[in-house]
Amino acid sequence: MGESWFKREFGTPRRLAFNLIFYGLHFFLFGYGWHSQATNTKLAALNGLKFSVWTSRGAGLVLAFDGGLILIPMLRNIIKVVRPKLTWLFPADENIWFHRQVAYSMAFWAMVHTTAHYVNFINVERTQVRKQIALQIHYTQPGGITGHFMLLIMLLMYTTASQKIRTQCFEAFWYTHHLAFFFMLGLYTHATGCFVRDSVDPDYIKSFPFYSTEHCLGYLSWRYTIWPGILYFGERMWREYRARRSTRLSKVLVHPSGAMELRILKPSFKYTAGQWLFINVPEISTFQWHPFTITSAPKDPYVSIHIRQVGDWTRALGDRLGVGPSVVASMTSAAMKGTEKSENGSLRGDFVELDASSGLSLPQVRIDGPFGAPAEDVFGVQVAVLVGAGIGVTPFASILKDIWYRQRQGNCGSLRRVEFFWICRDAPSFGWFQSLLSEIEAAQADPNFLRINVYLTQKISEDMLWNIAVNDAGAEYDPLTLLRSRTMFGRPDWMTIYQQMRQAIESGQYIPGSTSQLKTKVGTYFCGAGAIAKALKEACDHHSCAQVHAFLSMAGILLLNDASGAFLSERRERVRWTDTPLYATTNSHVNLRFAM
Amino acid sequence: MGNLVWHEYARLVTITASAYAVWAGFFALFYRKFFWDFVGGTLRDPGGLQPAPSAAIFIFLIVKLPIIPIISAILALVILAVEFPLYIFKDSALHRSFALKIVMLVFQTFFNILFYQGTNAALWSMIAIICYTRAIALGETKAEAKDNRGKGGRA
Repeated sequence: MGESWFKREFGTPRRLAFNLIFYGLHFFLFGYGWHSQATNTKLAALNGLKFSVWTSRGAGLVLAFDGGLILIPMLRNIIKVVRPKLTWLFPADENIWFHRQVAYSMAFWAMVHTTAHYVNFINVERTQVRKQIALQIHYTQPGGITGHFMLLIMLLMYTTASQKIRTQCFEAFWYTHHLAFFFMLGLYTHATGCFVRDSVDPDYIKSFPFYSTEHCLGYLSWRYTIWPGILYFGERMWREYRARRSTRLSKVLVHPSGAMELRILKPSFKYTAGQWLFINVPEISTFQWHPFTITSAPKDPYVSIHIRQVGDWTRALGDRLGVGPSVVASMTSAAMKGTEKSENGSLRGDFVELDASSGLSLPQVRIDGPFGAPAEDVFGVQVAVLVGAGIGVTPFASILKDIWYRQRQGNCGSLRRVEFFWICRDAPSFGWFQSLLSEIEAAQADPNFLRINVYLTQKISEDMLWNIAVNDAGAEYDPLTLLRSRTMFGRPDWMTIYQQMRQAIESGQYIPGSTSQLKTKVGTYFCGAGAIAKALKEACDHHSCAQVHAFLSMAGILLLNDASGAFLSERRERVRWTDTPLYATTNSHVNLRFAM
Repeated sequence: MGNLVWHEYARLVTITASAYAVWAGFFALFYRKFFWDFVGGTLRDPGGLQPAPSAAIFIFLIVKLPIIPIISAILALVILAVEFPLYIFKDSALHRSFALKIVMLVFQTFFNILFYQGTNAALWSMIAIICYTRAIALGETKAEAKDNRGKGGRA
């Protein structure tokens, strides 16, 4: 956005390299397929068809390549294992982005391949190089049947996968995308029936694979492309097994701001801060798995997620738990009114706690995961700058809790200071996060270890302005967030912030006794929309120097149905279910992340 | 669960089918073949299928002069212009009329099923018709285009 297409695709070295390698490989394979067909003397009879057969064979090879690639980014478990070792090579969190690039490429080459075959078959009929008519090849032979069938599946899968449809009805996308199973079957069997051959009739044999490789001269690409398919199938089976392991929903906390906190017990579930999971509630929907960011720390005795009732599934869950949208709405409005800190110290109204003792039967749940990048390397830097923007604050609940646990144990690695930035449009609706922050803030023994900076970007009314001006003076807590840290208004000026940080580090004031160190690592961990990421990146680059190494890395991912989705205004509330690991609402974010 | 807005889905299918139809019509200019020529046709080696004399009118409109593919491609371009929509259609009632789109899609199906390259476009147009019919049955309406209210995606 605001950036030209050309600059985005070719302006950054990583993106440029990706484009060159990805599309270069495609064109190379096309050329190779073309060449190998055109120069194959055994296939001289077919080569009588000239350009069309060369094109179809070239595009066929490219499609086999894409068919092998398309499932690889969906191997979530394998990616999770491989990613930490390969972060330098590719940002593995971009798997959906890559999946889409392969799909686009597949659509294009399918067009080329199909067009060429339409020409091929009409010419076969006219020249009678094989004693068949065009429609027989199209509609009675395996290649033709699977080909047309795959095109139809592609139509259904691509159209339901569009952002708009996924937002409206995730189910339509979710179920239709499982047509991929039949698509892959079609792909693996597309070239059966000895389609590319040097003999007059297909040369079938009795044993597997039921054709002789002496006369059937296709690419035999299924031998390669089937492996990602088998891996993916195995992974789905593994996920199914893992999801079925003993899981119990132990408690549901309904926060005054309306967020439901689900506390789940699953001993076999191991994760690190900043990851996410899929949850399934069979009572509400048997097959639907919804992604949420984990908000508990690994050392918590439970796994928690915060859910806001913004979509039909989450609303149904609220109804099932007896805290449907209407209940929550009244609670929320009560919470918004009660800006005073109540006497028992809790914030803005009270929790409603639901567990087995309250007489309510809690539904069966299943969770699958964890997925996504762990934010482990927070403990490998001296200064961690955590930046959560809007909904992107969710993963930091877990990360901050984790830091807090480790701090108590004195197990913080080289981490000396944490700067937490929270940029949001309207803080009160993040009630649950505020209460978490204030707990962490209150627990700080060293006032310099954790600094919380809250930036409120909404326009504030004159009344509110006066209110703040009058009430804020000398108060112990900030009137808006009820934290000790003061709320700042407007957008943070990253250049100044990093400049001050650098100066403080260079003069040795920032981290006591750090002057002896050669270089201070300042790691910035960000989750949120792309434009801020870009500003952060610039600030990091600009203020890296001999003594300070500032870098930007991504923490967690944006899941739009997480609890912090509260700030979604009316217009954006319709953005509900999106694809599993979803990166913001705009593409610019995705592009940027890849560029880094 | 979920609330699929059928006309929005139908729009995507229509766009895909029409884009296919444009491409099919274009290729039908160079490789001219009546799809149904196997009915009563005779196979000649070489030469391919020779259609039955009863199909003469279609042979004239598709093979001799590719009139049907041309009409089909133009119709597909019109559908694309209405659906996408081209700026002149953005505020128009045409863009919001499901009935009109169904009528155009019926014609698109009819034309495309006549020539060799058009079968998939015809099938997909039929799917789009089903989706639009469902939209009408559910009483869906398409809202008028909104004014441009600023740009998103800025920090």
